[in-house]
Amino acid sequence: MTYSWILFASIALVFWGITGVTQKLATNRISSELSFLWFAYAMIAISLVLMLTVTMHWHVRPLIFWLALAGGTLNGLGALTSFTALESGGKASIVISLISLYPLLTVAFAVLVLHEKLTARQGVGIALAIVAAILLSLEPKAPEAQGERS
Amino acid sequence: MSSPLTQSEKRPVTTLAGMPRWLAFSLLTIVCWGAWGAVSKVASDGVDANTNQIFFTLGLLPLIALVMRSPRLRGGHQRSAGMAWAFVTGILGGTGNIAFFYALVVGGKASIVVPVTALFPLVTVTLAVSFLRERLSGSQKLGLLLALVAIYLLSMV
Repeated sequence: MTYSWILFASIALVFWGITGVTQKLATNRISSELSFLWFAYAMIAISLVLMLTVTMHWHVRPLIFWLALAGGTLNGLGALTSFTALESGGKASIVISLISLYPLLTVAFAVLVLHEKLTARQGVGIALAIVAAILLSLEPKAPEAQGERS
Repeated sequence: MSSPLTQSEKRPVTTLAGMPRWLAFSLLTIVCWGAWGAVSKVASDGVDANTNQIFFTLGLLPLIALVMRSPRLRGGHQRSAGMAWAFVTGILGGTGNIAFFYALVVGGKASIVVPVTALFPLVTVTLAVSFLRERLSGSQKLGLLLALVAIYLLSMV
């Protein structure tokens, strides 16, 4: 299956894309905190399935272990704040597009801390990302308040 | 599948740091995920994707413990549906992660797989406009277009 990677990449693209809408459907009904909890429970379920079905390689350097752990915490914190952004009235189409610009910071980190060289392509990407973020955050009018949480 | 809601606001609009709450929390998400991307960049060479997923989940545990203390876990309407949608979010996100890594394992070039899959907001926007009836202003449409180009460029490896 030479091109089976296309199938897997398509699954990732579509599944990740759908999550923006399912996040919104969740926060239209329950708080961002409860949404995050059930999101995290799903992650635990997937990890349990992986542990039962795939060979794990536990022998990693302590530094790598702690970095991977910190990665989980940071990603989870981002998931929580993204649920809160959606719960606070952000449209799924805008919030998801805006937060997907996070590689902007990753590239900045790589340049400033890891001293990687900024390529011309990345430079253009950063400039476009900043303009895009400003345009995306411009609401046509202040969203009106509708119904408070019980 | 339940019918999607058309309302996008649930609370009175409040501001945080002089900007709408949704924008402030979106920017916070960029900071968190930007830091996650940086940490992953360093960590990913020393651990395989499956084991990384387990460590990743371990990293969620302190957050779960904190969030479980929130008084806002109560309340809401259609709670079962809300929790189900949140759970589906996690399952789709986690399965998407695994599919992404398999795309690389079975021979997909990172230089293609990473930037193409990073364009997933296009799927979100299509679904949000179709099913949630969200509308975008002209400047937001332009912003979306520029964001997709930016995401693609910044994701190229």
